[in-house]
Amino acid sequence: MPVFTSEQKQVSLAEAAAIVQDGMTVAVGGGLSWREPMALLRELIRRGRRDLHVIGTAHGVDVDLLCGAGAVSIIEESYVGFEQDFGMAPNYRRVCQEGQAKVHDTCCHTLLQQLRAAEYGVPFLPVRSVQGTDFLQLHPEYKTMTCPFTGLPLVLVPALAPDVAIIHAQYGDAHGNLKILPPLVADMLFIRAAKHVIATVEQLISTEELQAMEPNVPYFWVETVTEVPYGAHPTSCYPFYAYDRQHLAHYYHAASAGREAFAREYLDPYVYGPTSHEEYLQRIGGAVRQRELESWKESADAWRALFAAPEGAIA
Amino acid sequence: MNEQDIAYATLPEAMIVQVARTIRDGELVFHGYGSPVPALAMLLAKRTHAPHMVHIEGATYGVNPEPPFLPPTSNDWSLSQGSVLAIGITDLFDIAARGDMGRMFLSGVQVDRYGNLNVTAIGSPAAPRVKLPGSGGGCNLSGDVQHVTIWTTGHRASLNKAGKRQYRFVKQIDFISSIGHVTRDGRPRSALGLRGCGPEWVVTELGVFDFDPQTHVLRLRSLYPDTTVQDVLDNTEFEPVIAPDVGVAPLPTPTEVALIRRFDPLNTHQREFKSVDVSRRFPLPDNR
Repeated sequence: MPVFTSEQKQVSLAEAAAIVQDGMTVAVGGGLSWREPMALLRELIRRGRRDLHVIGTAHGVDVDLLCGAGAVSIIEESYVGFEQDFGMAPNYRRVCQEGQAKVHDTCCHTLLQQLRAAEYGVPFLPVRSVQGTDFLQLHPEYKTMTCPFTGLPLVLVPALAPDVAIIHAQYGDAHGNLKILPPLVADMLFIRAAKHVIATVEQLISTEELQAMEPNVPYFWVETVTEVPYGAHPTSCYPFYAYDRQHLAHYYHAASAGREAFAREYLDPYVYGPTSHEEYLQRIGGAVRQRELESWKESADAWRALFAAPEGAIA
Repeated sequence: MNEQDIAYATLPEAMIVQVARTIRDGELVFHGYGSPVPALAMLLAKRTHAPHMVHIEGATYGVNPEPPFLPPTSNDWSLSQGSVLAIGITDLFDIAARGDMGRMFLSGVQVDRYGNLNVTAIGSPAAPRVKLPGSGGGCNLSGDVQHVTIWTTGHRASLNKAGKRQYRFVKQIDFISSIGHVTRDGRPRSALGLRGCGPEWVVTELGVFDFDPQTHVLRLRSLYPDTTVQDVLDNTEFEPVIAPDVGVAPLPTPTEVALIRRFDPLNTHQREFKSVDVSRRFPLPDNR
């Protein structure tokens, strides 16, 4: 990864998003319903990005939203879906089944080895697994060899350096130092392997305050930082807010109703319509909804109540 | 909940207990995301017969958690509550790659006779008729982990619009996402140099299975009080082996049922099941 030495990394959401170009390989941080950089992804969609090659482990609304907006042409994720919550990811399925995006499924350890090869500066790393599965046919770039030391059959997977990693952290400073709270998912590997790292943060704080929290990403790996409170909504970003399951229920129904319905009932009101992130926050319910999503910390009952089944969740 | 007031176990609870009983004490055990049945089985096993089991949580990778409830999504802070710490994603997959993960749990939309699983695509992946969500870590872990317990809540074949049976346990699998005992071209698992021993148990809503040690074909071992050998044969496209001593699997104890209900007040696990199976109930002996 390059070294970014600027003293001042703070930019607007639009300036950060401008780093991402059509056709880039994009690693999206977080995973499933946790700490995904949704505000930045919405900005990419507004800017009309196309033909992105997304890579990652287990993801959900982030990749499905990019699929629903027609921004993706290659999907190299290990999982895209909504688990027991809503089930399959509708936009993801649609673009795969209709041939708009190439199915390039990966598997978690395979991808970690590819990222680590990039991180270690070596052209490939081996795995013992994958043999006997059809992933070998799906990925002609994987090679097999007999280990010269042990005689074991091995699968070699090539280094994969994403063009850009998009990360949403809890805290950062203007210099680009970050504190990401666990689960870190694959974020640290993305950051070390990627050519560009774009960070959004819940709170931009002073370097002194950040130091006291033992930050885990040094500024020189980070190209830009943007303060975006609720930047992971509708995914969770503890300790600030829980997952917005009601919003996801609406998302899921719009996406399940087809491309046009999704454009009309989701993309227009929540992605293209708002002229700013602040306006987006108003549209999702403003301060009232934010207080509800922050109520998880009051008690186990309050937390659990946020997961009570919304209308239309799978039963 | 008072244990002596527990009068019945549901089929989902009985299935969770069957999955739990595949766990051995002292194993390091991991369940993937989207897996309430094995998640509850692990919470249960550690508090009953396997106190030394190491529990690694599905997406938070929390170690030995004590969650206040089971949410319907796996990467949530509620699922690392009570853990002293969590390990990282590379820690988790490296543990498996070097052979130190004792057990994990996999499922499939297609399962073949050798325990190969498909969660990638129905039809060809280049032009899928149905794009499935993907295997997560399953492809790697199916090779690396010492023992795999397969579970599925969809053994019973459904009828498609043309009235044709749609099997989950299929003769021909469309895509091998995770490897069982024999490859597509007939090579045994032992020829692949893999760390792990492959699928050991298969728990479904119809019965409990292992694999015949000689032929590596799925073998029925036990049933529920309301299922029969014929149910299994009718709902399996290939011919499974039937063990000579097939009986009814022991029902859950009230302690086990109470633990499941304590950890899953939202009944998240029921979301894995068809409503017809949620309503299956097995009376427990009155223990007052």
